[in-house]
Amino acid sequence: MKNSSTTTRSQSREVLGTSALRPDGVAKTQGDFAFSSDFQAENMLWGATLRSPHPHARIVSIDPTDAWRIPGVETIIFADDVPGQATYGLIASDQPVFAQNVVRYMGEPIAAVAADHPETCRRALAAIKIVYEELPVLFDMDLAIDPSTPPIHPDGNVFRHQRIISGDPDIVGDVIVEGTYDIGMQDQAFLGLEAALAYPDPGGAGVELVVATQWLHEDRKQIADCLGMAPEKVRLVLGGVGGAFGAREDISLQVHTCLLALRTGRPVKVQYSREESFFGHVHRHPGRIHLRHHADRNGKLLKVEGWMKLDGGAYASTSSAVLLNGITHLQGPYACDNSRLEAWATRTNNPPCGAMRGFGVVQACFAHEGQMDKLAVALGLSPVEVRLRNAMKTGDKLFTGQVVDSVAPVARCIRETDAIPLPAEPAYGTGSLELPGGSGRTSDPSHIRRGIGWGVSIKNLMYSEGFDDSAEARCTLADGVATLKFATAEVGQGFVVLAQQIARTILGVDTVVLDAIDTQIGSAGSTSASRQTWMSGGAVDGACRLVRERLFEQVAHVHNLNPLQLAVEGTDIVDTLGPLRVPVSEASKGLRIEETFLHRHRPTEELDENGQGNCHVAFAFVAHRAVVDVDTELGLVKVVQIATAQDVGQVLNPLTLLGQIEGGIAQGLGLAVMEEIVVDRGVVKNPSFTDYLLPTALDAPDVVAIPIEEYEPLAPLGAKGVGEPPCISVTPAIVAAIRNATGRDITRTPVRPQDICLPT
Amino acid sequence: MLPAAFDYKRAGSAAEAISLVSEYGEDAKFLAGGHSLLPLMKLRLAAPSVLVDIGRLSDLSYIRDAGDHIAIGALTRHMDVEKSPVLAQHVPLLAHAAWHVGDPQVRHRGTIGGSIAHADPASDLPATTLALGATYVVQGASGTREIAAKDFYKGFLESALRPDEMLTEIRVPKMNGAGWSFQKFNRRAQDWAIVGVAAWRRGSESGVGLVNMGSTPVLASSVASAIASGASVADAAQKASNEAEPQSDLNATSDYRKHLASVLVRRALEEASR
Repeated sequence: MKNSSTTTRSQSREVLGTSALRPDGVAKTQGDFAFSSDFQAENMLWGATLRSPHPHARIVSIDPTDAWRIPGVETIIFADDVPGQATYGLIASDQPVFAQNVVRYMGEPIAAVAADHPETCRRALAAIKIVYEELPVLFDMDLAIDPSTPPIHPDGNVFRHQRIISGDPDIVGDVIVEGTYDIGMQDQAFLGLEAALAYPDPGGAGVELVVATQWLHEDRKQIADCLGMAPEKVRLVLGGVGGAFGAREDISLQVHTCLLALRTGRPVKVQYSREESFFGHVHRHPGRIHLRHHADRNGKLLKVEGWMKLDGGAYASTSSAVLLNGITHLQGPYACDNSRLEAWATRTNNPPCGAMRGFGVVQACFAHEGQMDKLAVALGLSPVEVRLRNAMKTGDKLFTGQVVDSVAPVARCIRETDAIPLPAEPAYGTGSLELPGGSGRTSDPSHIRRGIGWGVSIKNLMYSEGFDDSAEARCTLADGVATLKFATAEVGQGFVVLAQQIARTILGVDTVVLDAIDTQIGSAGSTSASRQTWMSGGAVDGACRLVRERLFEQVAHVHNLNPLQLAVEGTDIVDTLGPLRVPVSEASKGLRIEETFLHRHRPTEELDENGQGNCHVAFAFVAHRAVVDVDTELGLVKVVQIATAQDVGQVLNPLTLLGQIEGGIAQGLGLAVMEEIVVDRGVVKNPSFTDYLLPTALDAPDVVAIPIEEYEPLAPLGAKGVGEPPCISVTPAIVAAIRNATGRDITRTPVRPQDICLPT
Repeated sequence: MLPAAFDYKRAGSAAEAISLVSEYGEDAKFLAGGHSLLPLMKLRLAAPSVLVDIGRLSDLSYIRDAGDHIAIGALTRHMDVEKSPVLAQHVPLLAHAAWHVGDPQVRHRGTIGGSIAHADPASDLPATTLALGATYVVQGASGTREIAAKDFYKGFLESALRPDEMLTEIRVPKMNGAGWSFQKFNRRAQDWAIVGVAAWRRGSESGVGLVNMGSTPVLASSVASAIASGASVADAAQKASNEAEPQSDLNATSDYRKHLASVLVRRALEEASR
């Protein structure tokens, strides 16, 4: 990373601001790290799930007789065997643990089996006879919105309808540009497949579940409801998580695994295959967005109007929150007063969609950035100039009426990105792996055209619309060693190293022990919405500060000083007004100081019927510039370089920051040119990594990243969340670069080769 | 997934292999390198009751200069085709195409005979030998016969081989200094071609084979005719898109495949004409 920091910092100790190495790094690199799929138990059974082959069907009959006869089968459970609530869901509890009478999407669970071996499970599932009566498949968003379409669920076919009207919605600009944009369904495609191991308590009084998840306490609540148990009877332990990206926020195998363990009285492990994983978790919402942008002759935005439709698939998951994020971000990072926007999240028989990195903003950004480019063309301005003329700044008001009081260096993000040198002109040798097509080696250097494109985005941080969000952490200091306890899901983002850095910085210790991540402490909330550095970081910071206060009191008492005079300097406690200097290790000898801290962010509000309200907590911004080489005859694209400047607040760990930036760019590149779950009338056509294309090292572009480091006063550590912004505007930047290279008005992502080279 | 149960017989000679297959009839299959058949069996798309293993018949693994052509034993591994100095000198297009097959593990186990007998339109070597005007030698209970490559491919995974016949040798005419090109279009290394082109040219003579453009490997004879009658490379290449009716799948629509065929044939002929 270039220009990584302007501040001089201690390089010797792994405190805040250094590229401290993560405690799980070596084990993960060497293959020693235990992911949730690695857990085993004595006397363990295997569990497996029977899923619907149809997107919409009535279950006429189920006959498990033959399955029960298979030796090794211990139990088979159906909807009637769920002792508690029959359904679950993050926002609305509408998704059945097991389908009863009707299946609403391909892959919906109908039964689960526990047996002595995965192969026995497979045979048992195959032996369960189910008679289906196929029903008409609702696969179209417009049909779902149409009130005359019969509902496919008692709650109706629209999860949420929201409008935003602000300023003068009837104002007309000198220049008007219009476009319709389509976004395909992306999969989170984490590498660590869903896996869980449940241990039943004696007599079935409770259950312990080791699971890879993003949010232990929310899982526990939903599991307990379905098991008909008090939440404290359900204990969750975080199994090693191999990526999440939103796909582990919902329940997948949690309830099934616990039910099987309680039913058999034995530990049960459930582990999905890659194919099952495609059906077992929610995906990014596909959608269609139509926007009309009005501007004056100088290029100043006057109004944004239009609509957004996101398809939530069969069950609610977080569709209503994704839709809120989508519609409130259609404005983009641009100052504008007037709007008239409408949005729907639909229920169909397509795969359920929910959280994925960017959460509705990815879709919105693809549309508003396409519009900004159209505006630039209409006004005769460069893509950079039109964005600079409208760049949002602190104090600007959003369409929702909310004032952006976060640090908002949008213009700086654009300017610093623009200042990054462009890559050298292409000079490919024939057969080079750098050519479009990579290992396919079919591009001919003489048919390559280069293009440049821009994307700039705004992303809300934390949960919105009045959600009572908090994170708890506990710090214990004894004999110079700090121990931290929290329920924050480490999903790969590096919170474990950040927590250690915080404790080292605040307490002046070198050794920081991390206790197990489980439900034996209050909730940390979800590892999502770019919120854990702010929320759990704030909780760890708060707990460490409370411990330090008590340590200062002890030292002050012994030396007859005012504790307010004391400070931590390196690994010493020093008297800021006198000569005293005591190592923390010595001062804490024989002591055991323990403090717990609950961090909350400021409250937010729900939107009213016109979309007005302070619904978001804070915002972060980022600019991306993409350079692509396109073989215009074959339709192949090579993303050569991504330049980016990201508004990050205070940099706490440059190395993990760069990891988030590079990873997010790869994921956004996937949505731009490769990744799409192909769904045909509710049927998933490519549930494998053979047919669902993922970027590899060969596809990864050079990334030149500049952190825009402006301390965020709203944040406990001055640091903004950095996980989502990298993947948001990179997609429109790449697609804009393809438009620039080909001269084609491409309005759909991912861009397929035929979109580039076939006659339109 | 695991394949369905089957019996396994190992043949000590070509004659024994043929008599074993004759004995078990239509349910028996020859097993050579196993790199086409075994995946089909694991997916349960094929379930032969008997596999007759001919993989150890080392006398069918050879590459010989036979005057006007090169004779290649059916059990010659792809890697040996790729590395052969004889082929490098006389049929460089085939050696190069063999390098495009799968990955090194596949090329060390898979055989040229297995690939051709399997008759997969998406495989690289059937279309390449077709473009080169090869002849296949097959041995059966009733003796030996030769089949021209252009008469061999009958349908999807279907060939002119009778159930009791075994492909023993591939005879490929020497290229005598012809220019050549192999264009394989895929999105990732080691995948099957979405569309592939094998082409050679010597003045007005040429041959063009298309990979994965239909239910069989395709000999684009209209392209060669156009070249022979003096058409430009660009004009001749346009004819490639009408040579077949390719299917649409997740990788490419039919229209995109046709477009690719024209573009790749043009690029191949341009390279072969240099």
